Amino acid sequence: MNLLLHIVRQLANAIGLLFAVLVLNFCLIHAAPGDPAMVIAGEMGGASADVIAALRIKYGLDKSLFEQLFTYMSKVVTGDFGFSYYFNEPVVSLILQRIPATLYLVIAALVMSVVIGTLLGVVSARKPNGLFSQGVTVIALAGYAAPVFWTGLMLLLLFGSVWPILPVSGMIDVVRPKTGFAHVLDIIQHLILPSTTLALVFIAQYSRLARVNMIDALTADYVRTARAKGLPETIVIGKHALRNTLIPIVTVAGLQFGHLFAGAVLVETVFSWPGMGRLVFDSILRRDYPTLLAVLFFSAVLVMAANIVTDLVYRLIDPRIRSGAR
Amino acid sequence: MTSIDTPALPRDASTLPSRPAISPTLVALRQFCRSPSGVAGAAVLLILVLTTVFGPHFYGIDPLDLVDAPFTPPGEDAWLGTDYLGRDILAGLIHGGRATLTVGGVAAIITIAIGVTIGSLSGFFGGVIDTALVKITEFFQILPPLLFAMVLVTLFGQTLTTVTIAIGVVSWPTAARLTRAEFLRLRNLDFVKASRAAGAGNGHLILRVVLPNALPPIIVSATMAIGVAILFEGGLSFLGLGDPNTMSWGLMIGQNRNYVLDGWWTVIFPGAAIFVAVLAISLIGDGINDAINPRLRKRG
Repeated sequence: MNLLLHIVRQLANAIGLLFAVLVLNFCLIHAAPGDPAMVIAGEMGGASADVIAALRIKYGLDKSLFEQLFTYMSKVVTGDFGFSYYFNEPVVSLILQRIPATLYLVIAALVMSVVIGTLLGVVSARKPNGLFSQGVTVIALAGYAAPVFWTGLMLLLLFGSVWPILPVSGMIDVVRPKTGFAHVLDIIQHLILPSTTLALVFIAQYSRLARVNMIDALTADYVRTARAKGLPETIVIGKHALRNTLIPIVTVAGLQFGHLFAGAVLVETVFSWPGMGRLVFDSILRRDYPTLLAVLFFSAVLVMAANIVTDLVYRLIDPRIRSGAR
Repeated sequence: MTSIDTPALPRDASTLPSRPAISPTLVALRQFCRSPSGVAGAAVLLILVLTTVFGPHFYGIDPLDLVDAPFTPPGEDAWLGTDYLGRDILAGLIHGGRATLTVGGVAAIITIAIGVTIGSLSGFFGGVIDTALVKITEFFQILPPLLFAMVLVTLFGQTLTTVTIAIGVVSWPTAARLTRAEFLRLRNLDFVKASRAAGAGNGHLILRVVLPNALPPIIVSATMAIGVAILFEGGLSFLGLGDPNTMSWGLMIGQNRNYVLDGWWTVIFPGAAIFVAVLAISLIGDGINDAINPRLRKRG
């Protein structure tokens, strides 16, 4: 029951924060230099003074700021985030079309980085001063320092011209469209390079985190007890120590969802992946403010959702919190 | 662990001699010099800074001039080749480094200034102020930082100043959380209570009593913030959001990225410059961390 209450409280908090994001969006548009009516006129390709005055009335720009905020909010609540003149489509439908592609990319990268990062960290923690461990440290440093878009371009160069075994652009093979299972395989093939690029940054961080925590865990009393009980090493590490190593990784992975998303914007641009990142790039290029601000809002929704899921996973892994909640 | 290893302990005037034999800063500096990777990082960063400061005097080519045919490969005509317009890559690296490193440094200062102010007020006062500031921090944390910075730069104009401020404005929450945690830990310790009892006001307590003792992790975080800011500047410029009139490493990659298959050197070198700079800074950060945090020093 307590858990349910906790979730309800979290959702209420999330809604409050998202409401604040909308207010921020509204303030940003009004704080930005330039008159919104002129901006809209610009998007339409220019307009006369009469048309601009008409636009002002049509969009309520002649009303007080507070009234405008109220209008904006009531529109957003009904799912109206404005219209993109460049794409000639409502912003919401634009974003909803792009969310799946971004989620494929982000989730693939997340899973890859948590699994590989933890594995590297755990293995290297067994011999903290060994060759493998030092190799992992070097990889972690390099992965952290390399700009994600640069890594992407390097892989594009490698697989685009030197060793062309993987598709380097888009999400599907447009020349030979496939159906059914072949279609899924096609997407997975296209996903390999972008997701690996994005994952490299986080593999670096998680392997470092896993290594430090595993080294700590291996000297802890409960691990000594487990060993003294005569448990095989695989169970000591795989069950007892790993659980405590995973807690900080899950926390950090959840908190970094925003960074992951931002990284996706860059990676999508490199590999022409048709997700929200690509949409951001296009809307920056066209100064398409409604789309840009709506993407900011939807990304906040995704981050919020990720935080709530992280919190739940955290409870699953950490029995102390779980029993406390009951 | 020797007694020298405890510089991070609160400096309590009543128990320490009035003039300590060795200052904690000196101890940390010595410790830092013992870390080969930290020293290497510092040396590399120094070389980069000196190159961007004095390089233009020795290598007189303007980074925006068209000096040769587009995509001239690295060789005698242009040491590191030319880009898609025929501009010299080496000149771009030397001049671009100025912008990139300056943005990194200034944005990190903004990040730390905002983060430390919010974190210290929040941790020191607690109560309603803490709740409000934590909510604000939380709010900034649900906005993906790079995306938020893109929105700010798109709306407020593509100048180096906007880019720098935008990076600072989106990056501070980590520093704020860190500072708050340190202040929460320190504010009820005896040496703070003693100062308060001696009549110190809140301003004095925050700035002169608690903050100096909270500095070690903040210094590490500030160092790392420079690296993050450089990566952000790169990312923004890569998307075409840098200042088009100022050469920077990110701008070079962003402008040449569509031609990576025509001339690898146009993208590899500026990317490598960012990579080396961030690597050097994070090595310095690790070195400082090891030097001022005795607990970490034991770890492999």
